[in-house]
Amino acid sequence: MSRFNDLRRFVRVDRGAAGIERAVDDELQFHFDMTVRDLMTKGMSPDEARREAERRFGDVKRTRERLETIDRARAGHERRVEWWSAFAQDLRYAVRGLRLKPGFAIAVILTLGLGIGANATMFSIVDRLLFRPPAFLVAPDRATRLYVARTFRGKENVQSYMGHRRFLDLKENTTSFDAMTPFYVNKPAVGTGDATKEMHVGISGADLWRMFDVKPVIGRFFTAGEDLPPDGTRVAVLSYAFWQTQFGGRPSVLGTLIDIGPAKYTIIGVAPEGFNGFARDPLVAFVPHAAFTAANGFGDPKNPWYSTYNMTWFESFARRKPGVSLETANADLTRAMVLSYKKQIEVNPRSPSLALTKPRAFAGPVLADRGPNEGNDAKVATWLVGVAAIVLLIACANVANLLLARALRRRREIAVRIALGVSRSRLLMQLVTESILLAALGGIAGLAIAQWGGKVMRSALLQDANIDSNAFTDPRVLGVVAVLALTAGLLTGIVPVFQTRRSDVSAALKAGAREGMVHHSRLRSGLLIAQAALSVVLLVGAGLFLRSLVNVQNVRMGYDADRLLYVELNSRGIKADSVHDNLLRERLLEQVKAVPGVSNATRALTVPFWMTWQPALFVAGIDTVGKLGDFTLQAGSPAYFAAMGTKLLRGRGITADDREHAPFVMIVGQSMAQKLWPNEDAIGKCVRIGADTMPCRTIVGIAEDVRRGSLSETEMHFYLPIAQFHPQQGGLFVRTNGAAEPKSDAVRRALQQLMPGVSYVTVTPMSTIIAPEIRSWRIGAIMFAVFGALALVLAAIGLYSVIAYNVTQRTHEMGVRVALGAQARDVIQLIVREGLRIVLPGVVLGAIIALVAGKWIAPLLFDVSPKDPPVLVSVILVLIAVAVVASWVPAMRAARVDPNEALRAD
Amino acid sequence: MPAIDLDLLQGTLDLLILKTLKWGPRHGYAVASWIRETTNDRLQIEEGALYTALHRMEKRGWIEAEWGLSENNRKAKFYQLTTAGRKQLRAKTAVWTEYADAVSAILQTV
Repeated sequence: MSRFNDLRRFVRVDRGAAGIERAVDDELQFHFDMTVRDLMTKGMSPDEARREAERRFGDVKRTRERLETIDRARAGHERRVEWWSAFAQDLRYAVRGLRLKPGFAIAVILTLGLGIGANATMFSIVDRLLFRPPAFLVAPDRATRLYVARTFRGKENVQSYMGHRRFLDLKENTTSFDAMTPFYVNKPAVGTGDATKEMHVGISGADLWRMFDVKPVIGRFFTAGEDLPPDGTRVAVLSYAFWQTQFGGRPSVLGTLIDIGPAKYTIIGVAPEGFNGFARDPLVAFVPHAAFTAANGFGDPKNPWYSTYNMTWFESFARRKPGVSLETANADLTRAMVLSYKKQIEVNPRSPSLALTKPRAFAGPVLADRGPNEGNDAKVATWLVGVAAIVLLIACANVANLLLARALRRRREIAVRIALGVSRSRLLMQLVTESILLAALGGIAGLAIAQWGGKVMRSALLQDANIDSNAFTDPRVLGVVAVLALTAGLLTGIVPVFQTRRSDVSAALKAGAREGMVHHSRLRSGLLIAQAALSVVLLVGAGLFLRSLVNVQNVRMGYDADRLLYVELNSRGIKADSVHDNLLRERLLEQVKAVPGVSNATRALTVPFWMTWQPALFVAGIDTVGKLGDFTLQAGSPAYFAAMGTKLLRGRGITADDREHAPFVMIVGQSMAQKLWPNEDAIGKCVRIGADTMPCRTIVGIAEDVRRGSLSETEMHFYLPIAQFHPQQGGLFVRTNGAAEPKSDAVRRALQQLMPGVSYVTVTPMSTIIAPEIRSWRIGAIMFAVFGALALVLAAIGLYSVIAYNVTQRTHEMGVRVALGAQARDVIQLIVREGLRIVLPGVVLGAIIALVAGKWIAPLLFDVSPKDPPVLVSVILVLIAVAVVASWVPAMRAARVDPNEALRAD
Repeated sequence: MPAIDLDLLQGTLDLLILKTLKWGPRHGYAVASWIRETTNDRLQIEEGALYTALHRMEKRGWIEAEWGLSENNRKAKFYQLTTAGRKQLRAKTAVWTEYADAVSAILQTV
């Protein structure tokens, strides 16, 4: 026994696959050799001894296999344990290191958190706009939104909106689809009494329920039989959220009636939680398309809604049959569309010819912002994703810089540990563990920021902040954050790793802190140059959007948007005669003028950005007026121009004498006058509306141009006295003293008293109507400014820390300079110049990038060149100022160096 | 005396091996020889099973193995008890003794 101990010379057991087999072989071989030897000493022959040994052992092959299996399992387990314990040790070490430097840790975590949070926020928005298919959608790759295109005056106009007749033509004459349904969202008044509110309702065909994998929570969904013209069946499926909040989730709600718009619907079922059809706004209910359309009085007896080609009011969705390619489906759709257009020409012989119109139809992406008519918001959001990525890059550069500075400070510690035999790979693991720990904490901070920032951004970009979207529980956002954090951790961890790889152990141990500086600060300067360049790019973007926003807000609309309220009348189930409707509106007009704070009011038939009216015009001497462009109509009261703030350039406006039976008159906008009568005076000319047999309307005045369909273009617009054109229709514009918005409630209350029965008025400030048009610039300006400021602050901190670090490292040199007679001013100049030397190349680089990238951002700007000199110059000045300030502080410190102390140290 | 088939007594082999290693590290052959000699060959232990038991207990952490030199200067795998193994030995011994007492008490009734 004791001899064993003395002789023992332990070697590590090899755990590789070959090692395990060899070890088992060796062990068993030793066993057999020993057994045979012992048996032979007891007098057996070698053959006998071998047989006896084998007998005693049993099945050698099976035993060997069994031993190898056991050993492999053990080796695997040990490897895992070892890895985890090393990792745990690294983690403990990293945590301890961070707790010793809480300031450093917080700076890094916040920096990464802001970068990751900005990206998570933007991702969650862009995901909704561009990537995430509607919840419960079956086969999202085959689901499509239908578009029809027609060429009009040489320009193809792509539309996703269509009417029922067109929809039926497409549905009946195609074979490529196994489901096709109208779907759109309307905002009728829902409920009765005080609870009445305008809410989003989904209007759809019965195919909707087949396109989604949903089952009713209670009750049933509506059927194709309940969606038949002319009247459909008035049934409603509630959304889960609405059922919960309004009906307390009671099953007894089935069979009861709910008011939606002018009609009552029987509740037949509840859709599952989270189901929202193809809509983005949270819906309260789903109703059959036929029932809703009929109940809301679309069309007229001569042109019922289900047989006219003249109205378009809904979007359509379809699902390709499995195996049908997009090309086949599109060809199929276009064939059906051509057929449909031929039928349209039969019904309306005045429609432009097939050859001119070149009608076609195609299946586009389900998400509108992926399609041909994507909104500006989606474009801005996509840009902001790039911006957020840049912010993250800057954040990473900053963190890498901080980690690098830390690694430089720890050079000696690391050298000592290498000298003590810590393997390099182990050391690298430790550094990477530390940066991954930081990144993970940064990721959590980022999630918190995304949770908060996401709410703000979603309400700005998606208008449906109440859609349940929790950054902490959304797997897609979590996944993105995890990937970002890991990438950031590895990226930032790698920089100090390069540093330790390069560090020469003995040199680091021998030398003081002074040497080996220059080389590493070059890497740090490189990071700073990148930061400065990216900051310039973002700030230029912010400047351009800010100027766009200012331009948009200063643009002359042709009316005083800030001082106007629009009053809309919602009659509910009341069918009054037209005389009564006219009288009611005139009474409301008188009543509203008496409200304190209201200075004037007018009736109006159409509303800028909400509703246009574009009748056919006939002018003597002009072949087809429609070929010259779109001419839009407004009808108003005598006070119209004064109330709206639209300037009359010549002639007169509408007067009280322009009554129903008085001679018909008309006021035209300047550009319309120029277009129709380029070299003549428009006043006194005659225009007929609707048909060339209609009475003549004589032009009596010319008004300034207005913007009412787009902020970037004025429209060719004309005005009629409302007494002479649809006097029983339209709403009111109310002009207020000062800002309009605060007065909207008083106006609503004053007018509501006059409304008969359950009808009601809604009051909307004109600024609210315009807000969506301005939104993309507002968001661009705000987000670029926020991200740009963030980038600038990060870059400033980065510069400061590098300069400050360099100054401490050069204390000795500064001491020598001061001892040799350098003035404080010289030292400050030296340091500040160094700061500028780092930043200036970055500024130049950033300016070049901004100029090159400008051409892509130009379409999103308003009346600003992407190379706008004032923006570029001021951004460059700001960066230089920041560089001076960031290096000034450490420069002051350097100037105060006491030469005695500095020279004695180290 | 007839030979006893150890398969009857599950876990007993583990106990015997642990006991063998109580006095210090041994290689597999030494464990097998010691059991054979101590019991005068009365326990028919298949040596393959013995090695399987050794490796299994190593995996469980009751014993640990290291390579060393045998008395005749050959490379051999030595097993020794770990703390967990010592605890197992105590527990198993107690259980086994109690079990044997109980069984023999029943067998001794007339």
